[in-house]
Amino acid sequence: MKRLLAAMVVAAAAIPMFAGVAGLPAPGDAGAPAHTRVAARYVEAGVRETGAQNLVTGVLLNYRAYDTFGEVMVIFAALAAVSAVLSRGPPARRPAEARPQVETSPVVAFVIRLTAPFIAIFGVMVILKGHLAPGGGFQGGVILGALLVLLSVVTGRGLERPLLSAPAARWLQAAGPLAFAVVGLFGLACAGTLLGYPAGPGADMLRAAMMLMLELGIGIGGAAIILWLFLQMRGE
Amino acid sequence: MGAALQNLDYFAFVILFCIGLHTLVARPNLLKKLLGLNIMETAVFAFIVTSGMVDGGAAPIVDGTVTGPFASPLPQALILTGIVVAVSISALALALIIEIYRQCGTIEADELKGVG
Repeated sequence: MKRLLAAMVVAAAAIPMFAGVAGLPAPGDAGAPAHTRVAARYVEAGVRETGAQNLVTGVLLNYRAYDTFGEVMVIFAALAAVSAVLSRGPPARRPAEARPQVETSPVVAFVIRLTAPFIAIFGVMVILKGHLAPGGGFQGGVILGALLVLLSVVTGRGLERPLLSAPAARWLQAAGPLAFAVVGLFGLACAGTLLGYPAGPGADMLRAAMMLMLELGIGIGGAAIILWLFLQMRGE
Repeated sequence: MGAALQNLDYFAFVILFCIGLHTLVARPNLLKKLLGLNIMETAVFAFIVTSGMVDGGAAPIVDGTVTGPFASPLPQALILTGIVVAVSISALALALIIEIYRQCGTIEADELKGVG
């Protein structure tokens, strides 16, 4: 009975979707409406208007900076919600012998310590070159966050003694929203709209600096948030 | 029928979406439900990114070395946002599942019905 119900739900969702995608223009068709209006304008004028050669970054941080602001707030809110859920009440401890204690292999620990500086440099490069090459704040932030998680695992440092000190971490976790607040208000002051960018050919450096600041805020904030999500889920 | 064969990519994503939906609906285990949700999200991301693709198109990085056609940057930027939101959803759902396990001792939805 339950199986039948599940199959019916899936069929009810699948049939309209199949019918819908059958009527779409073929993927890769350059004449499809998706490519002839907004996207064509972005490709044609994007570099001139945003100063970012990577158009994806240009769309994220300039044309659709509000969306990105919302996204930064979403991941910040997720951190707040996870903290609220997991810090409530005393954890129901299982007996100590029931918790499997797996020692980290010394080889793994050594290799991670050895490669850590290179991973960090790569992460920072992905953040800083996001407007020129594939990359950007989120991608670089995830690399840095993964590095922090790995180091936390091999050094055995949990929430009680985290890699970043707690007061510094609080500011770093909020780096994304803070960067958007600063750049947004700066744009309000010099362009007249929130998250506006100064226009004109003379403002190229200024626009690049604003985008770089957003990227750095997103990247650093993302890394700190990922580390904290991991530490809280791992528990004591 | 010709249109159906042209849009084979899209059909694959619909099937992937349905696999995720079935996992979400039919599995009682909350972790598996979350995995199903993630499969559905992946299907949607792949669908939207594919719709922004152009045959023979380059990545939308206009630095003068490549001359068009370029893939549409808009779906890629939207999906980057979507991926971050999906990560946030997964993190919050995992936290809730951990808390449910602490409080109730199980994460099977049909067993949770009996826990008052």
